Amino acid sequence: MSILTLSQVSKSFGGHPVVHDLSFSVRERSIFGFIGQNGAGKTTTMKMILGLLPADQGEIKVNGERVLFGQTPTNRHIGYLSDVPEFYGFMTAIEYLALCGKITGMTPAAYKRKSAELLELVGLKKIDQRIQGFSRGMKQRLGIAQALLNDPLLLICDEPTSALDPVGRKEVLELLLLVKNHTTVVFSTHILSDVERICDELAFLHKGRIVSSGTLRQIKESPQHSGLKLELEFDSENDRDRFKALFPDSLFTAPRTLRLDQRMEADMLDILRVLTEHQLPVRRIEKLEHSLEDLFTELVRE
Amino acid sequence: MRQLTAFIGKEGLEVIRTGKATILALVFILFGILNPAIAKLTPWMFALMSESMAGMGLSASAIEVNALTSWAQFYKNAPLVLIVFLLLFAGILTRERSKGTLVPLVTKGLNRWAIIASKGIVLVASWSIGYWVCYGITYGYTAYFWDNGAASHLLFSAFCVYVLGVWLISLILPLSIFLASGSGVMLGVGGLFAVVYVIGLLPEAAKYLPTRLLEASTLIQGTGRLSEYAIAIGISLLWSALNICIAALLFKRQAL
Repeated sequence: MSILTLSQVSKSFGGHPVVHDLSFSVRERSIFGFIGQNGAGKTTTMKMILGLLPADQGEIKVNGERVLFGQTPTNRHIGYLSDVPEFYGFMTAIEYLALCGKITGMTPAAYKRKSAELLELVGLKKIDQRIQGFSRGMKQRLGIAQALLNDPLLLICDEPTSALDPVGRKEVLELLLLVKNHTTVVFSTHILSDVERICDELAFLHKGRIVSSGTLRQIKESPQHSGLKLELEFDSENDRDRFKALFPDSLFTAPRTLRLDQRMEADMLDILRVLTEHQLPVRRIEKLEHSLEDLFTELVRE
Repeated sequence: MRQLTAFIGKEGLEVIRTGKATILALVFILFGILNPAIAKLTPWMFALMSESMAGMGLSASAIEVNALTSWAQFYKNAPLVLIVFLLLFAGILTRERSKGTLVPLVTKGLNRWAIIASKGIVLVASWSIGYWVCYGITYGYTAYFWDNGAASHLLFSAFCVYVLGVWLISLILPLSIFLASGSGVMLGVGGLFAVVYVIGLLPEAAKYLPTRLLEASTLIQGTGRLSEYAIAIGISLLWSALNICIAALLFKRQAL
């Protein structure tokens, strides 16, 4: 079953379309990666899902209920973590979670128990200083705790790792993997290695449109990305240059190495034949996998 | 109601921990003491001035001070106290909007009317406590030095200025929906006050407008009638309530 469905959603700012005819759904208990460059429309889409921005057209449903702009009851199913979450600096983490607990209608016993549990999970249990003294990483971890306080069905994370150092990023990604067992996670980012690490499904957003979506395998194996990528290492630079003259679109990747992108399966035989005919010895010939970065670059270029 | 009390608690904690409560307490207590103190020191200051004036060939006769002098000082200082209050609280909503601190709570289901109502309640409560503490201190010291009986309708005239303050403070919330910063809100409040003041110069309009309440200080001298201020009080309170309602309605449809 889909926990989140967007149907033909569009949004413009001052006549400039930011999101155009966006449709996708997210299945329960998965991590859905929402990938796009800065300005692709990721945050706008997330804010529409949260009812913080009105959609010009289309319909958004969370757990089967329609999202309304302004005061949407669907937010009771959602936990939200922004890229740089802002909290009240004059409060401590425990006081802030108590405020969130009261707002969501939890009993004092329930929010105290859950707060202690989550602060332990995010490594802030022994921190009793006020939030104004927190680092970005600590704020991000508190953000995860507040987002998970009321056991949401859907956790929406808007670039949760973009402002963090590598250690902080790793910690946040591990936390997201941990919560996946009972919560669906929608995770926007432009850091592709994060997506490869934790996402079950993904959608590429470019200029407000989804240009590709599915599981990582489906995307890599889709016809539009099925071309071969070959890397050839030669014995000498002379051999390398002779091959380059025959295949001018090949690219240098190392002193004696060339790469050929987007070849058909049939080209492989041609290449082998050319190597034999021209007596070009190779040390290594390798068929490479397309990385997510390659796919993303290609999609953005298109 | 649960959300309202939770958010009022947060607002109250913010007023205390960010030092606003301390500043307010200092300002209101200081002005409460200064009103009778300045009145008490006026003859001494006047004597000092008359010595230097005599050197210039000018003469001044001694002046007499009483409770009315102290209360006149109270009404002179009330606008200053109000300006300090507005400076402290003008960014109460704009700061939260620009920083994004409301987003995690709204996405947790916090009703937007509860945000506006909590802020409105805390604004009016802070003003009420501060203003009446200031009044109480002035009243006590004035009674100690002179006789408050010399001033007529003390409580009513003070109430008029208090209501004027409530009206000005209530303008903060609707203006915060349209303006991006606390300084913008401050200018907006000042601008609206100026517009209403200018309209109030028309004799036909004056008695209906909140700015009419500024003149209530003359009541302590026994001039004027209480009924002349009833309409302005009613309209000011109604307008204040309307300000909060308008802010809540507009905020409900505001993108965050």
